[in-house]
Amino acid sequence: MSKLTQRKSLDYIKKDYVRTRTMPGSWYLSSYKFRFNITHHQPMLEKLKEKKLIANQCSGCNRVFFPPRLVCGQCLVKPDRWVDIRDTARVATYAIAYLKNPDTGQVEEKPMILVQHDGADTCSIAELAPGINVKDTYIGMPIKAHWKENATGGLMDIEYYDPIPDDAKDIE
Amino acid sequence: MGRQVAIVSAGFCEHSSKRSDVNMPELVNEAIRDCLKKVPSLGISDIDAFVTGNMPAFEGANMPELWSTDWMGARNKPLLRVTTGGTTGGTVAIAGYYNVTAGLPGIDTVLAIAYEQQSQGDTSVGLASTAYGEISILNTLGIDYDSLSRILSAGAAIGVAAYQATNYMSKARITEEDLARVVVHNRRMAAKNWWAHLRMPDLTIEEVLDTPYVQYPLRYGMLCPASDGACAMLFTTEEKAKDMCDIPVYVNGVASVANESAVLGYDGSGSAQTDPSAQIGAMRSSELAYSQAGISFPRKEIDYAEVYSPFPNQELMWLEKLGLFEETTAPQMYENGTTALDGDLPVNCSGGVNSTNAIGASAMERPAVAALQIMGKADNQVPKTVHTSIGHGWGGSLNLCTLMVMSDEPKRKWR
Repeated sequence: MSKLTQRKSLDYIKKDYVRTRTMPGSWYLSSYKFRFNITHHQPMLEKLKEKKLIANQCSGCNRVFFPPRLVCGQCLVKPDRWVDIRDTARVATYAIAYLKNPDTGQVEEKPMILVQHDGADTCSIAELAPGINVKDTYIGMPIKAHWKENATGGLMDIEYYDPIPDDAKDIE
Repeated sequence: MGRQVAIVSAGFCEHSSKRSDVNMPELVNEAIRDCLKKVPSLGISDIDAFVTGNMPAFEGANMPELWSTDWMGARNKPLLRVTTGGTTGGTVAIAGYYNVTAGLPGIDTVLAIAYEQQSQGDTSVGLASTAYGEISILNTLGIDYDSLSRILSAGAAIGVAAYQATNYMSKARITEEDLARVVVHNRRMAAKNWWAHLRMPDLTIEEVLDTPYVQYPLRYGMLCPASDGACAMLFTTEEKAKDMCDIPVYVNGVASVANESAVLGYDGSGSAQTDPSAQIGAMRSSELAYSQAGISFPRKEIDYAEVYSPFPNQELMWLEKLGLFEETTAPQMYENGTTALDGDLPVNCSGGVNSTNAIGASAMERPAVAALQIMGKADNQVPKTVHTSIGHGWGGSLNLCTLMVMSDEPKRKWR
């Protein structure tokens, strides 16, 4: 067993209980139909094919939402303006997950990040470049989107985010 | 203005990871009997209405009030079920308060019950069922299932709190040792509490730091357990409370505020809460509850605090956001003993959620313990006299906060 996943529990005062009658049961959930309106995502998905990012802006509070949002929670109006945003971003917050690689069975450290694109007021969940040392991650780290070669018009067109230096030309 | 509400009693059942000796209604019954034992003059027939709640789908039984009504003693009486996720207990307590303060004819004494038997079902399935509808939209936006499961593994309760922890740690410039100190504080307090789950009288900081990471910066030893347990609280009017017990505890302010959900947001559209440790909802709920209670200087006026902290970084954060300490100073307060049992502001002397977490009941155990501290009947009673205390609850996707402010004096009436 890998050192990272072995369970080392702490001792505590335990009590033994008499066992009452226990009936095993299982609950097979049926299939559900979750309904979403994704019309507000369509302009963004179209632009992703050209490797460009757009976000929508609330005309009440001027907040910019990326990914676009159907309703602004503060003003209760539909954001109706479309603005271009950059593909540079900042790490808003991060955590390191310890996940088992299905191919090798090894536990890998993987930083999970929330990115806030420059020009947007919201953050979304994403991944960092695979080669990066997790100890170099910090909050406010400048990063840049790494695009897939053939963009298909989905959020996965941005494969991951590459770290860039603080004084990079992209964020001027 | 509604009627003044008082708490006269609170009861708990024994918490454990597997209460294999009882089923869910019996577990509830244990807490109710403990609650009524403390008020000898009151029988079950004197209770006019009931409020109950637990997390749906965690035990695999929906509508559990159908089979636990008789065990609660609620047959042929008004019964209300409230469930709001992690804050279920806090909301049930607030609903009990509302029931009394509304002044409905014939409803004076209300029993609020919150419970959870997590060993009966699968908590992760329950959590997934609450989030799946929101997450499945990411599939339609072009994130395939493999990467979604990677994101999901970081998006469960621990994952969300880990984001919060990294943010808080970089803001307050603290290390994991500070987090471990909070854990040691909680677990040692729990050792003096008969109903707590993880009772570790000899835990040290080194032992906590020796456990592996579950998700950086949270280690296995820092996480809350999954417990089976129940909690009951008795609310009544000011006049009746004086006959029932020596020191009734008056509820002077309640608040339940939701901020925008963090991390995932709604419909996969991200979150405007870019700093998960900013917690505007908690600040707003404390403003509301303190203004109702007439508290202008929370740092001076509040003598005891019970905060909902499954993870140690949250305990530090809530204490600051609820106005009890200056921003980023809470870690020092644990170091210099301000929050100890005999300190200026004792915190989580019951062991907190970090030692005992029966999800549905946790948020109610906080105001329940805070009330018992004022009455002087708590199991780990603080040596000083407690006049004003708060009980806090947290839930949702880092966004929902409940707060109850209690005092040994009724609300000041301005004329």
